[in-house]
Amino acid sequence: MADIEAPFGSSMHGVTGREQSFAFSVATPETVPAETSANFALPVDSEHRAKEIKIFSFAQPHMRSFHLAWISFFTCFISTFAAAPLVPIIRDNLDLTRADIGNAGVASVSGSIFSRLVMGVVCDLIGPRYGCAFVNLLVAPVVFSVAFVSSAEGYIAVRFMIGFSLATFVSCQYWTSIMFNSKIIGLVNGVAAGWGDMGGGVTQLLMPFLFQLIKMLGATPFTAWRIAFFIPGWLHIITGIMVLTLGQDLPDGNLSTLQKRGDVHKDKFAKVFRHAVTNYRTWIFFLIYGFSMGVELCINNVIAEYFFDRFNLKLHTAGIIAASFGMANFAARPFGGFASDFAARKFGMRGRLWVLWIVQTLGGVFCIWLGRANSLPLAILAMILFSIGAQAACGAAYGIIPFISRRSLGLISGLTGAGGNFGGGLTQLVFFSSSTFSTATGLTWMGVMAVACTLPVALVHFPQWGSMFFAASKDAKYSEEYYYESEWNEDEKQRGLHHGSLKFAENSRSERGKRQVIALAATPPHSTPNHG
Amino acid sequence: MARAALLVSSILLSCLVATSYGATFSSLMRTLVVTASPAAGQVVKSGEDKITVSWSYNNTFARGTDSTYKTIKVKLCYAPISQVDRAWRKTVDDLSKDKTCQFNIVTKPYNPSNNNTFTWTVERDTPTATYFVRAYAYNSAEEEVGFGQTTDSHKTTNLFEVHAISGRHTSLDIASICFSAFSVVSLFGFFFIEKRKAKASQQK
Repeated sequence: MADIEAPFGSSMHGVTGREQSFAFSVATPETVPAETSANFALPVDSEHRAKEIKIFSFAQPHMRSFHLAWISFFTCFISTFAAAPLVPIIRDNLDLTRADIGNAGVASVSGSIFSRLVMGVVCDLIGPRYGCAFVNLLVAPVVFSVAFVSSAEGYIAVRFMIGFSLATFVSCQYWTSIMFNSKIIGLVNGVAAGWGDMGGGVTQLLMPFLFQLIKMLGATPFTAWRIAFFIPGWLHIITGIMVLTLGQDLPDGNLSTLQKRGDVHKDKFAKVFRHAVTNYRTWIFFLIYGFSMGVELCINNVIAEYFFDRFNLKLHTAGIIAASFGMANFAARPFGGFASDFAARKFGMRGRLWVLWIVQTLGGVFCIWLGRANSLPLAILAMILFSIGAQAACGAAYGIIPFISRRSLGLISGLTGAGGNFGGGLTQLVFFSSSTFSTATGLTWMGVMAVACTLPVALVHFPQWGSMFFAASKDAKYSEEYYYESEWNEDEKQRGLHHGSLKFAENSRSERGKRQVIALAATPPHSTPNHG
Repeated sequence: MARAALLVSSILLSCLVATSYGATFSSLMRTLVVTASPAAGQVVKSGEDKITVSWSYNNTFARGTDSTYKTIKVKLCYAPISQVDRAWRKTVDDLSKDKTCQFNIVTKPYNPSNNNTFTWTVERDTPTATYFVRAYAYNSAEEEVGFGQTTDSHKTTNLFEVHAISGRHTSLDIASICFSAFSVVSLFGFFFIEKRKAKASQQK
């Protein structure tokens, strides 16, 4: 392990992996050379990454890793938001005030701002398998510790620590990026992220159901909710052990293989960091993702309680309604990515930006409507439309993020992910933690803020592709190569470190839209980006 | 165009009116006399201690005021101090939306005499808070038509506390520790076993 330098935070190795532009095209062109000597269940490229995805297969190593990756992320979402549908019981048991409940919600999403950054390093050092297993098996004791919680402080602390587990977003995307070829990695990552996010919805159904079941078996409510938490705890143990026994870091099997690869250049963290933070688009997307994913995280925490209190529903009814919000992720997030790719085919990057703005603004508008809806059927309709808008916006955002930078792709993806959690914590703190606003008013204002904070999409301009309101620069100097090469200085270019960026630039010409005839060069075998 | 707008707004308005119809607390007369056994400031343990409530009709009111009374529901209600910062316990005048009294002690048919009493063991899902007891009289249409309570109109006197169960159990604590230990041991166990295997295969 001594020969790997993994500068802190730079190793978001292919978090989205969208190095190529045709994220959703499953038809693999002949340009990707196939490795014929390997004995895999799926067709693979020269790095043994799968070129296809077969959802119903569990074959080693690709599909099994895919399923283990998304299931472990899913489990972490379940336990992070497991308390939310049970808050009506927990608030009586622990004598919580609205501020306590709000602070716990903020805590549950803030922990992973930091843990997601750390997970990147961990994945590079010991592999995504151990990164994932570490999180699952170490968060299980925290989940079990709700048996001991007896005060507001204990409750907030436990939710904060369980929230660290959302770092599995990084290990999940990292793992699938190693296993799948970049031409389909967009779809693969979108599905994995979407199905993982679904855990936030499933938990709203699962926990009240478990609570009712345990109450029927004789426990009193104040004990039943504690017992109910044991189930997510066991899920963590089962998932962690499955990942360790059934999982495999790389298509070829061993992490030690990765350690022996000396032909990959490890970039310097300081450079990667500088190019990430000085690119204004990074910060616009930090803000924007905060109001798509952030809003989604916030809603996962408040929606069940909102329906329970506002419409006087039973706990499990409120849970069912709240669940449909998170469950929409199954299709909504992949849909957002697909819509982004679809728009890009004709309109290029400008189409992607418009799609993002449209779906995220619609999400905000429906959130406003949700807060104002006075009848249950209208509220449910508003919530469903809102969920589709916000989740599609998450998928659409990650349709654009890979193009912001080639050198700092991993760090920008990680920063944006952290922005999502930051936005979630912020909205929860401002709108749902004090008694200034009722929850309904909080929802309305959050929707207004989401619409306002989506406007900066109009400011994102790529000289070679344009922006929402301005076409690409007519000056021929501003090409894709110019944009991506500008991240390297002369010395680095002389040493040939920028070749990966050049290849990416060539492939990204599809972002000009249909008008441009694209001549895609054959993808060379070792073009895997490495940000470690 | 204007007619369509008028139609839409009148439909919306009528929906609003429909939802806000319901008995209000301020319209009720305090025709019942209610007493409860806990003294002011007494702490009652849920699951163990009992409360004895008694209620009767206040004869100083005109005869016939209670002619519509059919049933009495006695409830445990939150005192204002336990409602602070907790919107799910809010007092609202519209009784269909009011959340002050969330626990039912007993429901009995109405009897104007003096000997209505009931002894209630405080349920184990009663949260720790400060309470008073209120009784509502309902007519045959299940609408509130009268009330009585153990405290004054400002809900400041004669309040008592309930101390809830913690919900914790030793068996649960032990189970939690066992599973947590299993989790941590399996993680580090796997890690070290694989490390040793890797070292052994490297040495070969």
